[in-house]
Amino acid sequence: MSTRKPLKQLIIDHKTAVILALVIIAGGSIGIYFAIDYLNAQNPEKITLATTTSTYDSGLLDYLLPKFTEQTGIQIKVLSVGTGTAIQYGKDGNADVILVHSRSREDDFVNASLGVDGIPYGIHRACVMFNDFIIVGHESNPANLQLGDNITTVMTKLRYAMDTGNMTFYSRGDNSGTHSKEKALWAMIGVDAAVRWENQPEKYTETGQGMAATLLMTYEDDDAEHEGYTLVDRGTWLSFYEDYTSLDILAESIIGEDLLLNPYGVIPVNPIIHPHVKYLSACRFVGFLTSSYGQNLIDAYRKNDQILFHANFGTCDVDVGCTTTTDEIGIWTPFQAEFTDLTV
Amino acid sequence: MSNEIIEGILEGLRLIFTFDSEVWGVIEVSFRVSLTSTFLAALVALPIGSFIGLRTFKGKKEVTNLINTFMGFPPVVMGLVVYLLLSRTGPFGALGLLYSTSAMIIAQFLLAVPIIMGTAKAAIESVDPILKETVLSLGANERQLWWELIKHSKKSIIAGFLVAFGQAISEVGAVMIVGGNIRWETRTFTTSIVLQTRMGEFGMAIALGVILITIAFIVNYGLTRLQTRVD
Repeated sequence: MSTRKPLKQLIIDHKTAVILALVIIAGGSIGIYFAIDYLNAQNPEKITLATTTSTYDSGLLDYLLPKFTEQTGIQIKVLSVGTGTAIQYGKDGNADVILVHSRSREDDFVNASLGVDGIPYGIHRACVMFNDFIIVGHESNPANLQLGDNITTVMTKLRYAMDTGNMTFYSRGDNSGTHSKEKALWAMIGVDAAVRWENQPEKYTETGQGMAATLLMTYEDDDAEHEGYTLVDRGTWLSFYEDYTSLDILAESIIGEDLLLNPYGVIPVNPIIHPHVKYLSACRFVGFLTSSYGQNLIDAYRKNDQILFHANFGTCDVDVGCTTTTDEIGIWTPFQAEFTDLTV
Repeated sequence: MSNEIIEGILEGLRLIFTFDSEVWGVIEVSFRVSLTSTFLAALVALPIGSFIGLRTFKGKKEVTNLINTFMGFPPVVMGLVVYLLLSRTGPFGALGLLYSTSAMIIAQFLLAVPIIMGTAKAAIESVDPILKETVLSLGANERQLWWELIKHSKKSIIAGFLVAFGQAISEVGAVMIVGGNIRWETRTFTTSIVLQTRMGEFGMAIALGVILITIAFIVNYGLTRLQTRVD
């Protein structure tokens, strides 16, 4: 212990100097952090993408983004949240570009009359791809869904089984794109689920959680004669179906019907409302996603050897009944040019 | 399920010892953020907290109540507050600090300050009044008394640092909101575990959990050793 004495004495003798040094070191280090983060925020080569959990958790973005960075040098920070949150981030200017799946809310996002002083929050939505939703439930299937039923029949059967207390429907209840889709499906048969089964969680459970958690709760609910069903995107389902052996796909999109299809749109945030957003870099990202290179990459992506996303820039009017005009498609041609020579 | 746990633990060991860059990146971010915020909070809160403990003044009771309330401030609410302050539409939006480690440090700093302040104050107050009188009777001025009391109660003060650090490293709500869980940048142990669970990668989630607990154990063990040695 005696060897430590001089240092201790030194500190005691120069208390003020030591405290000052500590403050300077601390101040300096935090100052450097802030400076680096501040500069990063200004750097046009670092953009922020707000997107849904389905695109991120499926691994698609981890596969696509490095290829974009390789070509352009632009790095993308991904905020993987729900569609509702992602759109809010876009409105607040906390993201430069959004990639989401809820057509009605995307239309609101680019609608000038719903923006600020007649200026829309986002400009030029582009269709990128679609995947599909399925309805899963337990094998005993108390609602008696049949593959091949059209979606109206499916929803009517579910309503009946829920009213008679034979099953529980698990809803995300979190304003996500999946939740929007579910509400739209109920609305098609004239039901507002949150009102009809208000405060009856044994019939309609709002989990308030992500897709994986909701799917797990559905899986765990396997009492005889009273079982869980849920609406899930195929990507999440493929991550879990091997573990959840008692769950099966009980309804999926049938040919000629697009209600269970799930189109994704990409929208840059409007630099007129948020001058700090890196609009040009965001447009290059849209150019990448919609170029033949980006579209081929999306089509080539596999998870557990299955196709998850179908690229549909320019063909969405046929695939998913989208109303995109040729003008809206043409806007992106110059931004796609730098990617056209690349091959998958 | 038990298989999954064992596999997860083995996976955790594998990831640590093969120096998996992503896992070590997550460890680095977690520690950088939690240590910086705790350190800064200590610098601010220790002088103020011990000063409040030393003096008696009008309104001390109210100040004490305030500190105690903030000691239990829900981290996720703090996340929301810092989010609203740093959001582009908020008062400090122009700095562009949202979704960065700086934002996480700010949130954790604000959470740690009342904890360290409260424990420092309580530690100083709990010192035997006889010691206080003795020191004063030996002719010490207030600054010397303050220093003596701090030295005397350093065990409790270090315990306060530990509590603050433990809260910082295991906190998930606030860092998720203000950090955004961005890969390679703001992903910590806790937010990573949330993500891996969501993706069904339970092995990776368990692995990170095991690493977190192990590291917490080592840090606490080391600090306890330090605490006993200063006696």
